[in-house]
Amino acid sequence: MEKFGKSQAVRRVEDVRFLTGEGRYVDDIAPDGALHAYVFRSPVAHAVITGLNTDDAKAADGVHLVLTAADLQDAGLTMDIKASLIRNRDGSKGAGPKRPLLATDRVRFVGEPVAVVVADTVEQAKDAAELIEFDFDELDAHVTVAPGGPDLHPEALENVAFDYGKGDLNAVEEAFANAAHVVEAQIDDNRVIVSSMEPRGCWAEWTNGRLHLCVNGQGVWDQKDGLVNVFGLQPDDIRVTNPDVGGGFGMKAMTYPEYYIIPQAARMLGRPVRWMSERTEAMLSDNAGRDLTSTVALAFDADHKITAYRVDTLCNLGAYNSELGQFIQTDLFAKVLMGTYDVQTTWLGVKGIFTNTTQVDAYRGAGRPEAIYALERAIDYAARQLGVDPWELRRKNFIRPDQFPYKTATGELYDVGDFARVLTRVEAEADKAGFPARKAQSKAQGKLRGLGLCYYIESILGSPTEDAKVTFNDDGTASIYVGTQSNGQGHETVFAQFLSDQTGIPADKISVIQGDSDLIATGGGTGGSRSVTVQSMATLATVDKMITGFTDFLAEDQDVDPNAISFDDERFRIDGSNLTPTMLEVADMARAAGHADLLSFAAQTTLPGRSYPNGAHVAEIEIDPDTGVVEVVKYTVTDDFGNLINPMLAEGQVHGGVAQGIGQAITEHVVYDPDGQLLTASFMDYGLPRANDMPMVTFYSEPVPSTQNPMGMKGCGEAGTVGALAAVANAVLDAVWDEGIYKVDMPFTPNRVWTILQEAKGAAA
Amino acid sequence: MHNFDFVKPGTVADAAAALQGDEAQPLGGGQTLIPTMKQRLAAPETLVSLIGIAEMQGVCKTDAGELSIGGATTHATVEAEAASLFPGLAGLAGRIGDPAVRNRGTIGGSLANNDPAACYPAAALATGATIRTDKREIAADDYFQGMFTTALDEGEIIVEVRMPIPEKSNYQKFLQPASRFALTGVFVAKYADGVRVAVTGASEEGVFRWTEAEQALGSNFAADAISGLSVSADGMINDLHGTPEYRAHLVKVLTGRAVMAAA
Ligand SMILES: Cc1cc2nc3c(=O)[nH]c(=O)nc-3n(C[C@H](O)[C@H](O)[C@H](O)COP(=O)(O)OP(=O)(O)OC[C@H]3O[C@@H](n4cnc5c(N)ncnc54)[C@H](O)[C@@H]3O)c2cc1C
Repeated sequence: MEKFGKSQAVRRVEDVRFLTGEGRYVDDIAPDGALHAYVFRSPVAHAVITGLNTDDAKAADGVHLVLTAADLQDAGLTMDIKASLIRNRDGSKGAGPKRPLLATDRVRFVGEPVAVVVADTVEQAKDAAELIEFDFDELDAHVTVAPGGPDLHPEALENVAFDYGKGDLNAVEEAFANAAHVVEAQIDDNRVIVSSMEPRGCWAEWTNGRLHLCVNGQGVWDQKDGLVNVFGLQPDDIRVTNPDVGGGFGMKAMTYPEYYIIPQAARMLGRPVRWMSERTEAMLSDNAGRDLTSTVALAFDADHKITAYRVDTLCNLGAYNSELGQFIQTDLFAKVLMGTYDVQTTWLGVKGIFTNTTQVDAYRGAGRPEAIYALERAIDYAARQLGVDPWELRRKNFIRPDQFPYKTATGELYDVGDFARVLTRVEAEADKAGFPARKAQSKAQGKLRGLGLCYYIESILGSPTEDAKVTFNDDGTASIYVGTQSNGQGHETVFAQFLSDQTGIPADKISVIQGDSDLIATGGGTGGSRSVTVQSMATLATVDKMITGFTDFLAEDQDVDPNAISFDDERFRIDGSNLTPTMLEVADMARAAGHADLLSFAAQTTLPGRSYPNGAHVAEIEIDPDTGVVEVVKYTVTDDFGNLINPMLAEGQVHGGVAQGIGQAITEHVVYDPDGQLLTASFMDYGLPRANDMPMVTFYSEPVPSTQNPMGMKGCGEAGTVGALAAVANAVLDAVWDEGIYKVDMPFTPNRVWTILQEAKGAAA
Repeated sequence: MHNFDFVKPGTVADAAAALQGDEAQPLGGGQTLIPTMKQRLAAPETLVSLIGIAEMQGVCKTDAGELSIGGATTHATVEAEAASLFPGLAGLAGRIGDPAVRNRGTIGGSLANNDPAACYPAAALATGATIRTDKREIAADDYFQGMFTTALDEGEIIVEVRMPIPEKSNYQKFLQPASRFALTGVFVAKYADGVRVAVTGASEEGVFRWTEAEQALGSNFAADAISGLSVSADGMINDLHGTPEYRAHLVKVLTGRAVMAAA
């Protein structure tokens, strides 16, 4: 068997459950009799709290408990929510102001949790919340992503949380001084609201001093560590589970105040307590994504080879540091700073800004879409400025195949790649040659047409270490315990399929078990496009142990030399014997022989290095100049994902990623007013892309297998989003360039696009 | 949502009686009112459902050549039953919201609510409809009195809407990208004795008639008839989806498109 399995387009088995209402999400499985919690949130973006009286709320019908920061303090819960801090350029650490579970003396964003009401029903809890007297003196809000404005935290002068730098600034400056051409651009990367289909929720129950927190997260172990920290419990006294989860996208990987307050309420009441976020609540309290502006510059020699690249970014952190907030536009952005181009002189400078908005953290791609967006916009723009073909400018600067393994300026070791080959393929598949004719056709219909390319590269992140355990059950089935966590991607299908391919155990006899810290001791969860790579590698190691264990058992049982036994992916073969048992049959034999040790195999593996999926997205868009409507009319992707474990699911990840990219590029427009009120706090104003906003996305695979895992695969979960942003934006710029418009920024909503067209007309007139 | 009482009378008279009660409110399809109650922005004590009243249901053509629509008729029913009688209206109804909304929401609810971005007000005004209530008949030109404001008294019930059927008509709806209500919408109705053009979604005063376009189109029902006209941005809605200038511009673009589609 190939190490990547049979590469079959097996359909998703879990979809039957999800699509027929049989999914078991956190709010479906709360314990009987659980009380309902409702979070009372700040209605203002910035204020000093002058009074918080919950007496009437406590006395309201059905209410069991009202918690404020003072109550948590009385109960000894004084820990804040931890966040990792980045190093400043001067070696010191970024600002780490306290992020309280419930607001103490100040509120800093609309939606910040202030109190929690627990009642028999959620309606009673809401009724009671209306009786909370919350008094405050409003302060001016700081909502622009720039230093200055009213200070949020004493730890962050001018609201600058950190000042990060990576690269050799002197060398970069020298290269720019000596450059034949310099092209500079300012590029905004708009904020998005993550909008997972299922909002966040959790419930907590204590049994004999032991806590069970069920939460719709992206892995149970980090959350367990957080609870150990805040409650001061022993790890053995905590069980965290993740049931079916309806989308996470990085937003659900991070911890939130509710995941501590709900357990605390349950502890104080001696009863289970549940909380489920509503949509507007989610929009106000879930980590947001992106939200940065970068000034980028490329230096070229006379031959148009890039000699240096410089990025200076201001990024929004929101009101507090979320867990990884300081790392997204810094260390994670840096992973692919220079993309697919052979340039060793680079600089990334980033200032993180606190604002009176909801905290910002990872969103599908986490820093890498942002880096590629800046770079691919810059190179496209540079080509236009230099008067050369944007595709050829890229080709000229690509890292060549003979340069791999290639150490990038920011320290990544790209294992393999053949970017020119992928670009050539997409050029044909997208029918670039036919574009002028299509543009003319659009023009005849009064439409402006543009074509945009993004050549992206991604770096797989998350923990390189993962565990797998396979057990043979008494009922003749097998189970695989995994340390990753499906958020809807199809893990159940892929992990069972992969184990089946390697062992011959029918996939329908394999159940995938995930998301329970009692059943699985360690794991890395889902994030950074890691899951299938790390899990499959651990599974291969587990299968090796199984084959060895069963071979030895058969040798002893049949009294033959182990070397006379082989496994052919379906059955064990024994030289000179008619006995050809399957894995399940050997397991039965072992069970009958009393060999319990042969009914469970486990292995832990660590990837030797990351894989670097890369590829080309080509978007064609049409603009209706009368209305400013931008429509994506043709979309072609060619990806190098290495070997594909399940080609259909890989393509599905691309489709979803492209949809999220098109959403950010065209419809998703987050607007805060100057007072810090979120104006787009429901789907009546926040435009998620819909099916009819999506073009048919054609997908081609042009694999160069990775050398950094036995499967030769590359993670594909985030790639679609990484490629889509610049492809669409470059296409829009292409469409309007001849109208005299040289700068366009997402989101390309009808009003915004119409407005820039009008401005250009005005300037021309 | 706060608790409330619910009654479902079978006649207009019973409904009118029930609405005499304190804090009683009519309920059509609930597509606006129920979400508002869920958000705790409205808390009526009694909801008087109108959908069980037979005489408020259905679509038919009157002897006077008007389309009569029962006040509790759903958008989906109008879409189906007006298709051959008044295709411009059926087209409008068929593009309101999504199937769930169209199968619950009613014309009476839409006109009573008079959301500045709603579609039906444009049709009612462009056709010079008559709004018949349990108390009186109101001409569309007198009925719409600004955003969310109408000539209806408290508890007054829209029993029937009668629209003179135009020779030609079309509704152009420019979608607000998130809600898919009308960011701006234009209904053009051509009659033997003239053309009426009604605009929704654009003005801070709610739905209005673009009389200059009506005159121009009255003498020449063709898109170029309005090419020399312009719409002022003064008094247009300014929100994150559209500036006043953008909306003013859309009024003209959509009117032209509606004429083209109708002609
Ligand atoms: C997701 C979504 C999308 C939508 N998209 C659109 C759209 O694109 N275009 C559009 O025009 N609308 C749209 N709507 C609104 C929809 O058309 C509603 O149906 C309409 O606004 C209200 O009708 P209703 O019957 O549901 O009224 P209800 O919600 O029941 O009532 C609305 C108001 O009218 C009063 N009322 C109801 N019936 C009567 C009556 N017969 N007489 C007097 N008063 C009455 C009620 O007391 C209440 O004040 C959308 C709604 C939703 C939820």
